Amino acid sequence: MYLKKINFWFLSSLLVSIFVAIPIVTVFTSFFEDTSNYYQILKDTFLFEYIFNSLVLLISVLVLTFLIGTSTAYLVSFYKFPFSNFFKWALILSFAVPPYIYAYSLTAFFENYGTLYSILKNLFGEANYNQSIPKFDGLIGAVLSLSFSLFAYVYILSRASFQYQSQNLIDLGRNLGFSKARSFYSLILPAARPAIVAGLSLVAMETLAEFGAVDFFSINTLTTGIYNSWITFDDLAFSNRISFCLLLFIFAIFILENLSRKKARYHANTKGGFKQKEKIQLSGTKAFFAFSICFVVFFLSFLFPLSQMLYWTLKFPENLFDIPVVTLTLNTLYLMLLSSIVLIIFSLISNYGNRVSKNKTLNALSTLSISGYAIPGVILAVAFITFIAWFDDNVVKALGFLSIKKMFIGSILGLVLVYFVRFYSLAFNGIKSGYEKINISVDESSYLLGYSKKKTFMNIHVPFLRNSLLFVGILISLEIIRELPITLILRPFNFETFATTAYISASEDLLEAAAVPSLFLILIATLFIMLTSKYILRENER
Amino acid sequence: MRKVTIISLFVSLIVSSFAAANEVNIFNARHYKADNELYSKFTNQTGIKVNLINGKASALEKRMIEEGADSSADLYITADAGRCGAFKAKGMTQSGLVSPTIKSSVPKNFRTTHWVGVAKRARIIYYSPERVSGAELSGLTYEGLADPKWKGRLVIRKSSNIYNKSLVASLIENNGKKAAAEWSKGVVSNMARTPKGNDRAQIMAVAAGEADIAVANTYYLALMLSGNKGAEQQAAAKKVKAFFPNQNDRGTHMNISCAALVKGAPNKANAIALVDFLLSPEAQEHFTNNTFEFPMIAGVSPNPLVVNNLGLDFKQDLTTKVSSYGKNQAAALEVMTAAGWK
Repeated sequence: MYLKKINFWFLSSLLVSIFVAIPIVTVFTSFFEDTSNYYQILKDTFLFEYIFNSLVLLISVLVLTFLIGTSTAYLVSFYKFPFSNFFKWALILSFAVPPYIYAYSLTAFFENYGTLYSILKNLFGEANYNQSIPKFDGLIGAVLSLSFSLFAYVYILSRASFQYQSQNLIDLGRNLGFSKARSFYSLILPAARPAIVAGLSLVAMETLAEFGAVDFFSINTLTTGIYNSWITFDDLAFSNRISFCLLLFIFAIFILENLSRKKARYHANTKGGFKQKEKIQLSGTKAFFAFSICFVVFFLSFLFPLSQMLYWTLKFPENLFDIPVVTLTLNTLYLMLLSSIVLIIFSLISNYGNRVSKNKTLNALSTLSISGYAIPGVILAVAFITFIAWFDDNVVKALGFLSIKKMFIGSILGLVLVYFVRFYSLAFNGIKSGYEKINISVDESSYLLGYSKKKTFMNIHVPFLRNSLLFVGILISLEIIRELPITLILRPFNFETFATTAYISASEDLLEAAAVPSLFLILIATLFIMLTSKYILRENER
Repeated sequence: MRKVTIISLFVSLIVSSFAAANEVNIFNARHYKADNELYSKFTNQTGIKVNLINGKASALEKRMIEEGADSSADLYITADAGRCGAFKAKGMTQSGLVSPTIKSSVPKNFRTTHWVGVAKRARIIYYSPERVSGAELSGLTYEGLADPKWKGRLVIRKSSNIYNKSLVASLIENNGKKAAAEWSKGVVSNMARTPKGNDRAQIMAVAAGEADIAVANTYYLALMLSGNKGAEQQAAAKKVKAFFPNQNDRGTHMNISCAALVKGAPNKANAIALVDFLLSPEAQEHFTNNTFEFPMIAGVSPNPLVVNNLGLDFKQDLTTKVSSYGKNQAAALEVMTAAGWK
């Protein structure tokens, strides 16, 4: 009976899960080696600072993304006002601006003798405005960069939830004599809670794993702390301690998210009770107010960084000619396409494997393997190198084979593999949520009709899952366009993307030169979002 | 059709990892546009292809260490002597980076047989001539930055910055760790603000009136004065003057951009040829005119912007071996952190 379960599907999904778990396990096993040569005094000073900064960053970003994400989602899903249909998708354009590019823009605009200074000088003449211009750098800069770049997670998920809240709920509020505000706080928001929490937990993961923006403002967080103590000081023991703290954060988020998911079953609409709600038409000051909120958010999250980068590109046009735009575009597209295909194929297989085998070990293993998303890219990349080096020295060479290091380290293959580990959970969960909508009785009917497992998979599941697959592909592609630390550490010789080109100029204090690749990155991502906004907003579900 | 596309994608994946030619592989932590132009010139002259992987110094080092003997790295180029020294201490470099050109053109304290300096920069003091008097400046040393007369008037980068680590490492080498620890405390209490921003931001803070003196590298002022950073920064740079400390004793703290020969380098001869090329008058002039660094070799003059605004006749610290920066790096960070230097 047990042997029967071990078939192709089971084995392949087992292999995928083990593979994804390898770097994660490497991170933690290598931390048990003690090679400390890093001074105690530094550790005590830094550990507190890392935790404090990460905590402040996390809480501030969560509060801001919650406020921005839910308020704009509420406005566009319940009301009609000028441009409300435009804002509905324009607000997701903030996805096109990664936090580190937002950070460059903030600095460029507000620094001493920066863009704002130039504007003031041109308007009011020569004077020392520097003293009165607020400086959005350091921790505040990082909070703003992360919030405006990540709020779209909360926006998309809460909007999707608001969208399908039934008219009954609104009628209920009205019957109870609730004001609009009270209905929002007591009925609409609680009903959307699972979606909002899911969005916030994505924001939390991204915030904790953030490297580019945080590094740019040189703030010490748990992630940069692990990076510094492990990579710069070779102090695995201390890295272990920091990783442990980071893990505690992540576990707390996991638990919170799971708790709220359980509640989701309570709130799920059944199709019969669903009544399409009507949007309320706003007019006068109310319409203006709603418009203003959405416009300010759209402006700050997208137009502001876009125009700063455009301004610099035009001001320093010589940088435009230094960048091989075509090559960089092709490189970015190549990585995007390859990784999406690989991720989708394997997540499909392992999802199906989980579905047919119903094996507890496999389930636990796939839960472990999806935690790759919670581990910062920098750490994953280094763990991957460490693992390959260990495997090569202890296994491959011991067996008398040629070294495999060059095949994996500094190759596209290695790059795609680590992307795979990092984004596997996005793919796996995206497909899983699609799978949950296919009733298991569909499979049973299919077997009764004499379909094989393979045929069920290819002819029934894959077409059913088409929209989920597209959505997953889009999410992964957007992540890869913006991805920085993994690409930076693992890419082959002479291989650059827009993200690495921008980062390298910025790290040499050549922000002006970083503007051109940043601008192209934003434009490509924007184009991509516009083409696929229908799927991102999940208009055609249900 | 779709299958063909997918298969060809995978094939290209595997193939891309195998290639060999007349080449030199550089792990490069120094990212100036000017460097790439130099590498192209080198390829045109010698036919040797230059392969680059750009990145943060520490991540590049980690990758070379893990790749070990199989690493394809020939040269590691970075903008700090401390890093080259520390990398050598990890046993990751090899001796043999010697040639007649290197021997004749690079002063002894800027090279070992494992790594060689290719350009110099000084870490100096910038001041506002409006708010700092000549008397205050007279005879100023790095040590003097801890003097309470600068209370609330000094800006400098974070302690994690490599240039600061190397500066403090040189102070440890000259005055001992205990004195450097006291000095760090003095500097921290003189700071006009919590350290933030890059070197250029420190100079601009003096121009904007946030502070009276700043510590930053030489080439930043020249970069701002060149107008490459825009008219506003050019105007700002003119409000600031440069001062070379320690002229009456050991001289101004010098640092280098260095190239290290990586252990197991597969293209050792090409690597040496590249370093020789970087030390040629042509390449050195290219450095001085684009990155505004000081030339490593004699006979090449720094860029006029550097000469006219910073002066040329200053005493460089040629006694403190730059290899001590790597040795004292960790201790430098320790004393700064203990002093509360963010």
